[in-house]
Amino acid sequence: MTFISRRDLLRRAAVVGASAAATTGARAFQASDTERSAESLALHDHVMAAAREPLENLTAAEADLLEAIVARLIPTDANGPGATEARAAHYIDRALGGALASSRQTYTSGLAALDRYSRSSRGKAFTELSATDQDSVLIDVETGAATGFTGSSAAFFALVLNHTHQGTFGDPYYGGNANFIGWDLIGYPGIRTMVTAADQKSLEAHTLKANHKSAYDYESFTKATARLSRRNPDEREA
Amino acid sequence: MRLALCAAMMAGAALSAQAPPQKIVVSSPTLKADETMPRDYTPDGRNMSPPLTWSNLPGATKEIAVVCEDPDAGNPPPFVHWVIYKIPPTAKGLPEGIPIDPAAPMPSEISGAIQGVSGFRRAIYRGPAPPPGKPHHYHFVVYALDADLGLKPGLTRADLLAAINGHVIGQGEIVSIYERKAP
Repeated sequence: MTFISRRDLLRRAAVVGASAAATTGARAFQASDTERSAESLALHDHVMAAAREPLENLTAAEADLLEAIVARLIPTDANGPGATEARAAHYIDRALGGALASSRQTYTSGLAALDRYSRSSRGKAFTELSATDQDSVLIDVETGAATGFTGSSAAFFALVLNHTHQGTFGDPYYGGNANFIGWDLIGYPGIRTMVTAADQKSLEAHTLKANHKSAYDYESFTKATARLSRRNPDEREA
Repeated sequence: MRLALCAAMMAGAALSAQAPPQKIVVSSPTLKADETMPRDYTPDGRNMSPPLTWSNLPGATKEIAVVCEDPDAGNPPPFVHWVIYKIPPTAKGLPEGIPIDPAAPMPSEISGAIQGVSGFRRAIYRGPAPPPGKPHHYHFVVYALDADLGLKPGLTRADLLAAINGHVIGQGEIVSIYERKAP
């Protein structure tokens, strides 16, 4: 099983989080799963606020958990980079304030339920589990066997998986598919407004070089609802 | 027509003449027959596959297969939690926690074994997750087969039972129980 390392920023944040968790360990042990989870998530938010990149919609604890989940859904392995490098979680965080806003509450309740389930069944926060145990938890969520969710855990899994696909393989303009990693992964050569006969031949021979262009790199593509990051208008190039 | 009828009757006679399977004694270091399954073999715990042991295998056993099924669920029943086959005849049981990673090697004592597709549509063990209301019964059924049948990966329980039909020379089971309470 491949262990997925996170982006450097998140890795630093995880160290801070682990340290904080250790100092509260004795007290948390006596609390209920729900209390322990809420307390841990709140403390996690507090200590991580200064350590990670600004988030648009998710809390720091939610983003950290989501980052760990997407890393297992499309893992970094011998086939190449995965959802972590594509910044799929960043895409979801951004989209929850826009096109995916109707899913914001589902993420709040679903991520909290997944964290509680991980602690109650495996004895640790999801982010602290081994990759194998994380996969085992996610399979239980996927199959609807996990408890504590509003409705079936399978619906939450399907939602996150769908958004992870969007964040990994969608147009980089929306905050995911960073550096066209997703398109390179599946061999998609990029948006083209014109395809020459030579291009077509190369495409069919699987030798067409990726142009690494977003649809929005072309003047002819505009979309009023697409928005750039509030924080950094050039972030789509990141 | 008459020849075909004759052949069918002879085949039927051969089937009915086949000796009933020898009873295999199935037990477990951690499961107690007809008692509640420990949480670690369910999604309420680590959801590992439980260890099994068996004895009194027929001497002619060439390979072994194991199915875990819940006759209290499924449409139609049983709901299948685990299918594992091509277990070598030298195996005395299954160790706890068969890998869920398809790339991970099988433990050496069951080298060559393959996990088939369960009711969860995955080729791994997934433990009991019954809806609250009543206890469900989980049958771990062990089959001793008289031949290496060249079974392919990806078999469901139905596929497996069809493939081993006529080759089962030993059979036994242990039953474990699990119930989820309403939240």
